[in-house]
Amino acid sequence: MFNPENLIRKGLPKGHFKDLVVRFVLAGLTYVVVLIAALLFAKIIMDGAPVLFKAKAPFVDFEFLTAKNETLHVFDDAQGNRHQLPASRYNDYLAKYEGAPIFNEQTYSYSGGGIAGPIVGTALLTIGSMVLALFFGVAAAIYLSEYAKQSPFIHAIRLAILNLAGIPSIVFGLFGFSVFVLAVPVITPTPSDRSLLTIPLHINHYVMSFQGWNSSLMAGCATLACMILPVIITASEESLRAVPQGFRDASLAMGATRWQTIRKCVLPFSLPGILTSSLLAITRVAGETAPIMFTAAVAAKDDLPWQGLKSPFDILSSQVQALPYHIYTLAARIPSSEYTRRAQYGSVFVFLLLVASLSVGSMILRAKLRSKLKW
Amino acid sequence: MSPEENPSDLAPHRFQKRGFSYERAIKYFFASNAGLTIVILALIIIFLLKEGLGFFPGYQRELQVYRIAGLEFVDISRKNLTAHEQLTSVLNRAYYAEINGRCIKQMRRSQEASALFNAYTDQTGPTRDLVLNNSQAASSPNSEMLKNLKANYEQQKAKALASLTATPHLTQMERRDLIESVRSRAVNDTDDPLFVTTLAEEFTAAQHKQAEPLQALRSTIDSFSSAGSELSSLVSEMTESVIATKEKIQGADILEKDRKTLLAAASGAKDPVEREKLMTEARTSLADKPDVEGPIQLLLEHRPDCIKAHTALRDASTRIIGQLPSSLTQLEAARLLKAARHSWPFFIADLEKTPAAINAWKPDAPVPLTDSISSFLTGKDWVTGGEWQDFYGILPLAAGSLMISIVALVLAIPTGIGAAVYVNQFASPWEQSVVKPIIEFIQAIPSVVLGFIGILVFGTVLRDISLWDSLQWIPGFPLEERLNIFTAGCLLALMSIPTIFSLAEDAINNVPSAYAEASEALGASQVQTTFRVVIPAAFSGILAAVLLGFGRVIGETMVVLLVAGNRIKIPDFTAGLGTFFQPCHTLTGIIAQELGEVPMGSVHYRALFVVGILLFAVVLTINATAHRFVNKMKH
Amino acid sequence: MKTISKFFTAAAMISMAGAQTLSIKGSDTLGAKLVPQLAESFKASGNKNVKFEIAAEGSTTAFPALANGTAQIGMSSRKVKDDERTFCRTKGVYIKEHPICHDMICVIVNKNSPLAKLTADQVAKIFTGQIKDWSEIGGAPGPISIYTRNTSSGTYKDWQKLAMGGRDYPSSSLKMAGNEQIAQEVAKNKNGIGYVGLAYSKTSGTKAITIDGIEPVAANAKKYPYARLCYLYAPDKPSAEADAFMSYVESGPGQDIVRKVGFIPVKDL
Repeated sequence: MFNPENLIRKGLPKGHFKDLVVRFVLAGLTYVVVLIAALLFAKIIMDGAPVLFKAKAPFVDFEFLTAKNETLHVFDDAQGNRHQLPASRYNDYLAKYEGAPIFNEQTYSYSGGGIAGPIVGTALLTIGSMVLALFFGVAAAIYLSEYAKQSPFIHAIRLAILNLAGIPSIVFGLFGFSVFVLAVPVITPTPSDRSLLTIPLHINHYVMSFQGWNSSLMAGCATLACMILPVIITASEESLRAVPQGFRDASLAMGATRWQTIRKCVLPFSLPGILTSSLLAITRVAGETAPIMFTAAVAAKDDLPWQGLKSPFDILSSQVQALPYHIYTLAARIPSSEYTRRAQYGSVFVFLLLVASLSVGSMILRAKLRSKLKW
Repeated sequence: MSPEENPSDLAPHRFQKRGFSYERAIKYFFASNAGLTIVILALIIIFLLKEGLGFFPGYQRELQVYRIAGLEFVDISRKNLTAHEQLTSVLNRAYYAEINGRCIKQMRRSQEASALFNAYTDQTGPTRDLVLNNSQAASSPNSEMLKNLKANYEQQKAKALASLTATPHLTQMERRDLIESVRSRAVNDTDDPLFVTTLAEEFTAAQHKQAEPLQALRSTIDSFSSAGSELSSLVSEMTESVIATKEKIQGADILEKDRKTLLAAASGAKDPVEREKLMTEARTSLADKPDVEGPIQLLLEHRPDCIKAHTALRDASTRIIGQLPSSLTQLEAARLLKAARHSWPFFIADLEKTPAAINAWKPDAPVPLTDSISSFLTGKDWVTGGEWQDFYGILPLAAGSLMISIVALVLAIPTGIGAAVYVNQFASPWEQSVVKPIIEFIQAIPSVVLGFIGILVFGTVLRDISLWDSLQWIPGFPLEERLNIFTAGCLLALMSIPTIFSLAEDAINNVPSAYAEASEALGASQVQTTFRVVIPAAFSGILAAVLLGFGRVIGETMVVLLVAGNRIKIPDFTAGLGTFFQPCHTLTGIIAQELGEVPMGSVHYRALFVVGILLFAVVLTINATAHRFVNKMKH
Repeated sequence: MKTISKFFTAAAMISMAGAQTLSIKGSDTLGAKLVPQLAESFKASGNKNVKFEIAAEGSTTAFPALANGTAQIGMSSRKVKDDERTFCRTKGVYIKEHPICHDMICVIVNKNSPLAKLTADQVAKIFTGQIKDWSEIGGAPGPISIYTRNTSSGTYKDWQKLAMGGRDYPSSSLKMAGNEQIAQEVAKNKNGIGYVGLAYSKTSGTKAITIDGIEPVAANAKKYPYARLCYLYAPDKPSAEADAFMSYVESGPGQDIVRKVGFIPVKDL
């Protein structure tokens, strides 16, 4: 290829060697990061994938995903075979071979069975908090992009969004604990003693009591929703603003009201963008541990959230297990041995797979969207 | 904010008139949703303050009790006693280091032999235990199972024997004999191999021999150690009495509170029987005002004894420093002795000052509220749940958070910015499309997963690396604790690299291309353009990226909770760079660890909220500064 | 009006946490191993419809939870304090004590440490920070790393009383979340020392230290200086599930599990 530079400079330019070194160092730094990330994933995949995937059809160990979490019993039978059984099957075994001696029994908490409880709990927390955050977040974004003009109120909102986005997750945990667990109002005939304020409603002795929702799915969802709200608002506003002004002008010119314009001409075009960017928010909600530690999560719970309920509302007011909290428990509370590795690396692998698929999904969708929607 | 100010709303077209109020309602609905962000922020601040502000009066009361009950008085003497114990410990260590150093050869030989044997038993232990346990279980002697287990054991034994540790200080002959004796050990043999015991005995004998010439030092240390016994018994005597007083005062406080809660419960009770019961209980729990004067007077009668004990200890210490040898032959021992000699004058000076402090102490001096604030902000101890006195000092936690952030940022800033510069300026489009998503994907890894990797893998790997002989020049190696500031800092660096990377990349990307073009037109090379034109232009944006990365690091919880080691102590900065390999505790970690466990409404509970407020303020300040830089760049 | 009151009934149901679940909170010593297994075998013995929630954060958490009604049973490795009892009382909960097992707090060191026995005095000096190096008591030279439980643990406070003469832990001690974590760190640190409940003293890589010539095994529980009782606490009028569970724990099969997990049944002493 013709290069005009060749005409001017003969040989290597001055400082070429230095240039190369600089380039080399920068590239080295970049690839060190990439390498570390690759090593990390490799380690988790190497140890975790065998738990979830099998060599035989159906290739996926559904039991790990769908069984409840139990204590693991490890023991030898009289023939010298080593058994690793979760508590329920262990009790079945004892009942079946009544009187048969077992040797060398060891038990490992949280390591037997599967992780259905944590998976379901995380799903419920994520869905609940995303529904809340999307509703309030998109509405706020509509106001900011469609109605708002420069004013102190808008300025205050923008400042609040900026500040909320920077608050550490553990502070959201404190906030959720002191507000949603201990202070929000409930309607009940029997107010608790720690209630901050009770307002009689004069219907069947019911009072509105500011006593909080206890540690529950509701409180966890609300805390997570508050945490993710600024992300949703910012992303939604961006998508709304991406809709060309001409759409609005045309609609308004036809005599449509502002609300009709928004409903028919703005929202439909920005909705894909909003949903795509909220996928990224989901990865954050699903991955956070600190906000749910005190507001929703419980280490051991032996039924799935919807089992044995008196009313459907109970599901909201009971505590749930959650994958990130489960991993914390597995990392901090149980020893690591050859028998606990399955639970430990399996859970982490499933969790990472979940988060990875969400974020890769959002990346692909975003790329597709960019190529599709071009005005 | 009223819509009348908007010119478009001033005179609506008559076609719009019907929908007017409806439209306005919709608008207010959206506005109120946007206002929700302000409400949330306000709620966060209000509730943090509501729970947190009660801390200071509560802590003030605790400090008051600390003084009234005389705990503070005892602590004056105890401080010196602790210093005395520390000095004794240093001298003792110097003494043993001298002895061990002199018989280093025997020690090494003994250690290597037992290390070899230990490594062997580590590997074979589990299978061996199985064989043993099951041959004992006479109830069901199942031969097939036993055979299986034995075969297992033999297999494991062969494997263990194939990979034994090196023993440079044993001769080939000795090593072979040792291995042979290990190989021929019976399964149920519980004694150590003869050779290991012989070496241990040789070592002990050598120790005794080397101790002979050091007898003078030994007796000096012993006399120093016993010089503190008078003070020690005095302190423990006083401790008992003041603890009793403190319990009385606290008991009265609790009874008073109980009475109030019982009365409140009684007034709220609907059932008259229940109410009467509660009232009676409330009446019986009416506390007498505890007598603090008597015990305090008794305590103050100890003053002369205390002063006497201190003077005696001081005299003994001044005498003993002269008896200590000027130096010792072994390096480690000499270092310790020097350290002891160095702190000796401070110890004596403290002892001299103490009688004045003892005389000046007053049980009824008031504790102002500012004391509780200042002792929170500048306190060097965070001691909770103890028998003696709870202290809530933020410094150890803040120091831990800061040290971890330093490690994380030192690692993350060059890599994050370097990667950003490389990807934006030098990388081919193909490289960009690979590297960018990977680095951005790191951001999606949940922090608890990184903590998990840290506690299960990285900490152990780091410790194993620190045992390599070729790395012993690094201060702090070999690691004392596998979970420490550095371990946590590395993982947090990995977390903050994507933040710094993407923000810095944005900043570089936002530099108008005309700058670079102009620079290249002037004949600058690409590296020159990048470093002299593009980066200076993007500088404030890059600075903002670094600050936001810092905000992320300091607010991170799960990694530090799992990996930082949870030692509540200001790192010992005398260790130089080795400081970074000490464990610590952090602001975020302490909240996560303790909030779920403390009784609601207690001083400790409120202290955690104050830590939260502090964290909130720090992170907001950092973010505000960062955004100021971002705005600066826009203009 | 009818629909409104229906709505309120529904709303009231939200506020009542599922009543048929049995929520157990408190000590890690009991809650990490023993109680989950008791719960599992309780379910296996024909109580399939009882739902358990077990949170083991430390004994201190048991009593506020009992008082607020967020737990039906509290686990504690120490006796309830007077103020905690009164606190529950003010919320209308009279708590009843059920001793379920004896425990011994065992001192563990790394398996490769040459030490096998210590005196109670040496233990006190190590845990209060007066002895900082193993060479001072005849071990291989190396700075001692002390692993303790965190402050809300009953074991943390019991240990202070039983072994340390009421003195404070040195700031150089490392606070761990549970028994298993202490055992794990000691197993990985050749200079480590820590204390755990009897059930955790057999963790591989560690060894339990003989104190004053008394080996920490169940048979010596009477002579051992650091032995204690562990309790479950329940309201005096427990729910049917809680009552059934408590009587199961105190029954023969329940106490067998206590023994199997590594504690000492109440009646053995």
